[in-house]
Amino acid sequence: MATLRGEQGSVEFETGSGSLATVVGTRSWSLTIDKDTYDTTVHGNTFRQFVGGLISGSGTVELVYDPDATGQAGFLEDVVKVNDAADASFELFTTGSSTGTDSVSFGGIITSMEITSTVGELVVVSCNFITSSTITSNLE
Amino acid sequence: MAAADLNSIRATIEGRLATELAGSPVIPVVFHNMAYEPTPNSSWVQCLTSFGASEYLGQGLTTNSQNRVVGLVVINIFSGKGVGPGANYVIGKRIRDLYNRVIVSGVYFDAPIGPEALASPAPEGYFQTQVRVTFESIEEL
Repeated sequence: MATLRGEQGSVEFETGSGSLATVVGTRSWSLTIDKDTYDTTVHGNTFRQFVGGLISGSGTVELVYDPDATGQAGFLEDVVKVNDAADASFELFTTGSSTGTDSVSFGGIITSMEITSTVGELVVVSCNFITSSTITSNLE
Repeated sequence: MAAADLNSIRATIEGRLATELAGSPVIPVVFHNMAYEPTPNSSWVQCLTSFGASEYLGQGLTTNSQNRVVGLVVINIFSGKGVGPGANYVIGKRIRDLYNRVIVSGVYFDAPIGPEALASPAPEGYFQTQVRVTFESIEEL
């Protein structure tokens, strides 16, 4: 058994024209994967039944803002990309940063970015994203 | 990117105070682990810098990660007994202004607390006030 702590995680991102690289300064990430379900219940069934359908994902990456931190600018400014072709790539790691290990990877679109500056606190950025196309899970 | 140099942070904090109090009027200042025999009824300052519990800031373990290093500067201001607080508070203002919301060499100083008058001066024989300033620095690994 090996439990993990959040500080072991990391986020890699590429905006569509480079290669995946660590976004320095991430504080947290979350990912929710949803699967549609279709009702296949027919006359005579006693219990309702379903089949799985389309799969989609969405989530959030939170950063401690640092304009000089490697990868941050490209990440948080991806939201202002016009005619976004969903060509950005994400890999969210629960631990380490070995491609394809303890991670979830997918293409996606950053759909919103919020930067917050509050007296006495660090400036933080929160970016929401949705997945597009295949989600590859390597969480086992 | 490197682990925080706590001695460098200490030097930044104490050096700022030493430089200020070396200006006119000169006020003697002592720091941790320094012997000092004060002149009776004179004004002098004691500066004690200490570090507290660091906090996680960013993900990434020992590379591409950040910690918040926090600490406290306690500055005791001593002045002559039985002559009122004025002289002491003049020094207190100099010290308070020195750190008030200042960012220097990567050290962020918060709004100071005090000067607060202490009922039981240590050492005895002086009027004592205390200025406390919390600070933080971001450690980038």
